Amino acid sequence: MEKWRYIKEWDKLVTPEYGLAVDDTLPYSVAEKDSPPILHLYRFEPSAIVGKYQDIRAALKIDRCKELGIHYNRRSTGGGTVIMGPKAVALGFGISLKHPAMQGGIKGIFNTMSQILIRTLADFGIKGSFRPKNDLEVNGKKIAGLSASADVDDAILFHTSLLIDFDINLMLEIMNTPVEKIYDKGYSCFSERMTTMEKEIGEKIDVEVVMESLKKSFEKQFGVVFEEDELSDWEKQKVKWFDAKRYRDEKWIFSKRHPKYKMGEGLLKTPGGLLQVYISLAGGVIENLMITGDFFSTGEDINRLESNLKYTMVNRENIENSLRQIWKDDIIYGVDIPTLTTAILKASENCV
Amino acid sequence: MAKIEGYEMPDELYYHTEHSWARVEDGNVRVGMTDFFQQQAGAVVYVDLPDEDDDVEAGEVCGKIQTRKWIGKLVAPVGGTIIEVNEEVNEDNTLINKDPYNEGWILLIEPSNLDEDLGNLIHGDKVEEWIKSEIKRAEELKAQGGGGE
Repeated sequence: MEKWRYIKEWDKLVTPEYGLAVDDTLPYSVAEKDSPPILHLYRFEPSAIVGKYQDIRAALKIDRCKELGIHYNRRSTGGGTVIMGPKAVALGFGISLKHPAMQGGIKGIFNTMSQILIRTLADFGIKGSFRPKNDLEVNGKKIAGLSASADVDDAILFHTSLLIDFDINLMLEIMNTPVEKIYDKGYSCFSERMTTMEKEIGEKIDVEVVMESLKKSFEKQFGVVFEEDELSDWEKQKVKWFDAKRYRDEKWIFSKRHPKYKMGEGLLKTPGGLLQVYISLAGGVIENLMITGDFFSTGEDINRLESNLKYTMVNRENIENSLRQIWKDDIIYGVDIPTLTTAILKASENCV
Repeated sequence: MAKIEGYEMPDELYYHTEHSWARVEDGNVRVGMTDFFQQQAGAVVYVDLPDEDDDVEAGEVCGKIQTRKWIGKLVAPVGGTIIEVNEEVNEDNTLINKDPYNEGWILLIEPSNLDEDLGNLIHGDKVEEWIKSEIKRAEELKAQGGGGE
């Protein structure tokens, strides 16, 4: 049976610059040093980490992070902001796309990784499923986000974080969200859209047990055995390099190379009730959106619509296509696709 | 402007097999991604572009263009020095979708070996045959379930 490497750091919390530098090293080690695939499981000190292409100043209240002693940094993979802490498992995985286990390329790894996380959730009696574009959900609420970057030759780094417990109030404290104008609303908006393992089963969960389950899920998925390992000297040097050149470098953290970021709100009275859409745009693409109001629908359906709209170009044709993909009769009672599209476009026109 | 099975492929351009295009302008070469790429790949979500003054070789991957479906490579169709990067595309990535041959241009290169590099690109009568084979390849990929969400 093939042996893969497992680097486990469960007994301490690491800084973002260290954790992210180790993850960035994984695909290099696979591509340049012929390492077998490497799984890195660890936990961050309380940190806010934005995706590679985000505007960190638009995403986070940097001053508030400093006041509260929350680290902030930028990872090398795409996607949105994550708030990490002692009760969130961080996972980095480096593998070559040419590895026989990687049949489906980039798309394949998202499906494969979803299966692994779903298996781990099932170990705790939680029924998870993959929700396009890149979330793992439980009953329509997000529990993990997935991101990957093809970085070195054919080796890729895959990133995810699994929430065991989560402090929504802290998130609202340090993140700029389009719904922060009304704090209570912000809380309910996010608590209806996110969940955690502890929330799902109503009891405390030990982090190490989750890590062990993740490792076993990987072994089962790929038919391999993990051997606990440490970073080689070459890898330690590489980690130091990334730490200095990337994660301690203000130019990297405050990178100006990102699409123009704007947020806005749109209100529309409809026969089904008032539609309120909060939207954030990165360039001409929807980065995040929330649909609220006093209409009749289920949280699960609304969350799916929102997720499917992520990364859609802001124009009527694309938005309507995206809605049509998962629309069903009376998904929002009394509201049809063109009406919801109008509300979304209104929000995007109000963006500043 | 030639339209081949729904894809705009302007006659005056030179094409690299990785779907970047080259247009010669006053001795320099403007570079972008083809209409075929943007239609197949969907909305561009992020771009990773090189810096001005970087030297590139013909065929070198000098940037990434990420859509919801895949990470596309930006391959320099000709070698030389990058003298300008389209900052507008950095701010609104979807210009690559909206107007791939004009506002959505990506780089301007001062070429170092223009004639030889152009000779290695697809141009003129060969474009139609190439695009048709690319369409066929895309259909086969789709049938295998590839191509992403």
